[in-house]
Amino acid sequence: MNLTAHLNELNLPEAAAFRGLVERLRSMPERMPAADLTGRIMAAVDAERGRARRRPLSPWWGLGAAAVLTVALSLVSVYRNGCKCGTPPPDGLSWLAAAQEPDGSWSPAKYGGAEAYRPALTALAALALARAPDSRYAPQLQRACAALASLQTADGAFGGRGREQFYNHALAAFALATLYPGQPSLKPTLERAVAFSRARQTAEGGWDYEPQSEGNTAMTAWQVRALACASRQGFAEAQIPLRKGLRWLRGSAREDGSVAYHRTSSACSDSLAALAAYALIADGKAFPGLPELGRRVAGSLRALPAAGEGADCYRDYAKTLAFESAGAGAQAEAVRRQMAVQQKAGCRDQWESVGGRLYTTALTLLAAR
Amino acid sequence: MTPHAQLNEMDDAALMLRARDDDRDAFEVLVKRHQNMLLNFFARSGVQYDYEDLVQQTFLRLYRYRNRYVATAKFTTFLFLLARQVWIDELRRRKRHERLVKGLTAEPRPEHAGPSAADAGAAGGMDVGAALASLPEGLRQVVELGVYQDLPYAEIAAILKIPVGTVKSRMFNALAKLRTYLEEK
Repeated sequence: MNLTAHLNELNLPEAAAFRGLVERLRSMPERMPAADLTGRIMAAVDAERGRARRRPLSPWWGLGAAAVLTVALSLVSVYRNGCKCGTPPPDGLSWLAAAQEPDGSWSPAKYGGAEAYRPALTALAALALARAPDSRYAPQLQRACAALASLQTADGAFGGRGREQFYNHALAAFALATLYPGQPSLKPTLERAVAFSRARQTAEGGWDYEPQSEGNTAMTAWQVRALACASRQGFAEAQIPLRKGLRWLRGSAREDGSVAYHRTSSACSDSLAALAAYALIADGKAFPGLPELGRRVAGSLRALPAAGEGADCYRDYAKTLAFESAGAGAQAEAVRRQMAVQQKAGCRDQWESVGGRLYTTALTLLAAR
Repeated sequence: MTPHAQLNEMDDAALMLRARDDDRDAFEVLVKRHQNMLLNFFARSGVQYDYEDLVQQTFLRLYRYRNRYVATAKFTTFLFLLARQVWIDELRRRKRHERLVKGLTAEPRPEHAGPSAADAGAAGGMDVGAALASLPEGLRQVVELGVYQDLPYAEIAAILKIPVGTVKSRMFNALAKLRTYLEEK
């Protein structure tokens, strides 16, 4: 039986009325998909196929995953790493400028960091130099952008594999989008970078370097920042992945304002909450409710680290962003004062072994008011 | 005939069997063939702004579950089962977030928002869309599958996991409610 047969069973007036109704329902205009919908679906399928092929099948997988996790944790440190935290050294900007390589990049290995993160640290150094109150570092910034463009690979990323690739990509794309107004020749580079973000976004809207993950908060927050910046610069292709990324971040916040690394994990951290809060507030302005949610997450943050927590420029940088964007300037200042105290005390940043001095100097400058 | 043209000639079940063996081109033909149908399935479900995302999720789920497809099952039945599950997951997700974020029922990006009342009215679909949206989910799904997809009741019963008799009674109730709604307007 189908609908026609069903209607034939009814009495005549009722059947006639329902047939008219069905005709009216079917005359409702249909929606047409966006021209690139098939391409996007197939890109997601390709990413899934790639993940499936990389999936180890041997019983050593558990061991391998543990090893990857260990490496990953140490590499996160690349980003948190590297500094004697605190106020920026008085000569921080000039030190960074002097440390620039002739090709425009910065070499982490020369300053105690991991060379695999050259694109990411070049991006952080350039972002820090861009905060100079005048244009004195314009030549250095131009060379840094050219260096990042030359580091871009055919797929739109900026080198490395797994975690390295994703952090290199997110930070380089964010820096290039930030500096784009002064460097219009970067347009094709940024377009490829946005295409990479879009292709590597999970169906759920997040980003992660771990197979089978729907996304992790740190990576997604950085990608959202990069895409939001690109979108503001007129890169329309950034809008859809940005919207999906923001929705993913929205789902990462819990009722008490805490934010975990993965949606399903229980381990929460102030770094993640601060990154998510800032992205929701600053990049989610066009979406009702997101800035409010971001402020709620920021409200759950403590300005000062808990007892036993060491120096962490990455965490403190993210906190200053979150507090400033939430209108809690006094708390942001408290974070900066704490950074200065730790710097004076000679505290070693927990991630310094990965990021080196470039990383800590750049993040400290970026956290400064 | 090119290999792609040959794929276009194949029926869904044959394509799905090739996709099961990781034939990307076969899967792409399935996507092109059914994406409009799924898009409108979600759009009529009341999704205002992210129906394309749900279509993508459905196809991704289809890819992940491709090994579960058996050729004895009608492909659209299998696809709608997955689409329905995606929609149920979406509804659950929304309910979770409604508790967390009030007032997030719409995310207005002009290019992604659902049609405005004026647009829909101009197209003659405003009343019908509103009427459909007023139906309880269980009734609306029967209308979607029976009226728009014109599926046999037995197939609807398989997708919704309800008896055929229930499909019949739900269809009658849904049409009666729609009729009343539209007459009152």
